[in-house]
Amino acid sequence: MSMNADNHDRDALGPFFDAARGTAPAPSEDMLARVLADAERIRTTPRQPRSSRPLTARLRDLLGGWPAIAGLTTAALTGLWIGAVLPNTVPGAETPEYLVDITPEMAFDLIGRDE
Amino acid sequence: MPFDSIEDLPDDALLARFADGNADAARVLTLRLTPRAMAHAFRLLGNRAEAEDVTQEAMLRLWKQARDWRSGEAKVTTWLYRVVANLCIDRRRRDRGGAVTLDAIPEPEDGRTSVTEAMQERARADALQAALNTLPARQRQAVVLRHIDGLSNPEIAEIMELTVEAVESLTSRGKRALKAGLAGRKEELGYVDER
Repeated sequence: MSMNADNHDRDALGPFFDAARGTAPAPSEDMLARVLADAERIRTTPRQPRSSRPLTARLRDLLGGWPAIAGLTTAALTGLWIGAVLPNTVPGAETPEYLVDITPEMAFDLIGRDE
Repeated sequence: MPFDSIEDLPDDALLARFADGNADAARVLTLRLTPRAMAHAFRLLGNRAEAEDVTQEAMLRLWKQARDWRSGEAKVTTWLYRVVANLCIDRRRRDRGGAVTLDAIPEPEDGRTSVTEAMQERARADALQAALNTLPARQRQAVVLRHIDGLSNPEIAEIMELTVEAVESLTSRGKRALKAGLAGRKEELGYVDER
């Protein structure tokens, strides 16, 4: 749509828009009273304390309190100690492996081989 | 503080005072914002009772938002227009098909050519409202904000979360549809197209 056509639409509708502005419905006294009653109810409601608590306190509660935090810390330090101090191979792992024949009766001699 | 000075405060300052427990701030905001919200809701819904419900709900949300309001981020009226429009759109989605049409507006009775200016004004407003009700929701919202509430295109773009160009397109198409919808009623409403 061209600018001229747009302006013409606006001019043509001008009296209707003016009429709409001039006849806007006003809120009733009852309605204003209801809005104010809502405001009063919200205004006198105590603030929720949740946002005032520090992050560390909320985290502590989330994990289950101080005993749970102590347990988690102990487990973490133990894991660290095992990783840093103990030898990095399992004892005995460097010795020759044991061969365990769990079914000796199934063994068979090589064909044609003399003892 | 003197009584009349609080009435000069901007909306966001009043909201901050309300959040701090000031009852006068609630009264001033109610008298200042409720009529605007109500008129806007009525233009989008075409029904006074529904407009009152939506306005009360929007104002309730404003009170609840007051304590978390960040001054300077958005205008209170921008936020309120957006909430009112969203509530109206939700309501129309719930009971789609209940909108008033042009045919629902009563025709003037014969022999009443000597109508007063006030009656003609009312008839024009009613005819416009009926035509608005036939527009798609976003077109209606843009036209009402621009040409009845008198907001600028950038303000409307912020309310509707669109670009300014998209707002211009919506209002342009909306006006074209309104003009077509009202074309058959110009004479009876005392309006003559001069083109």
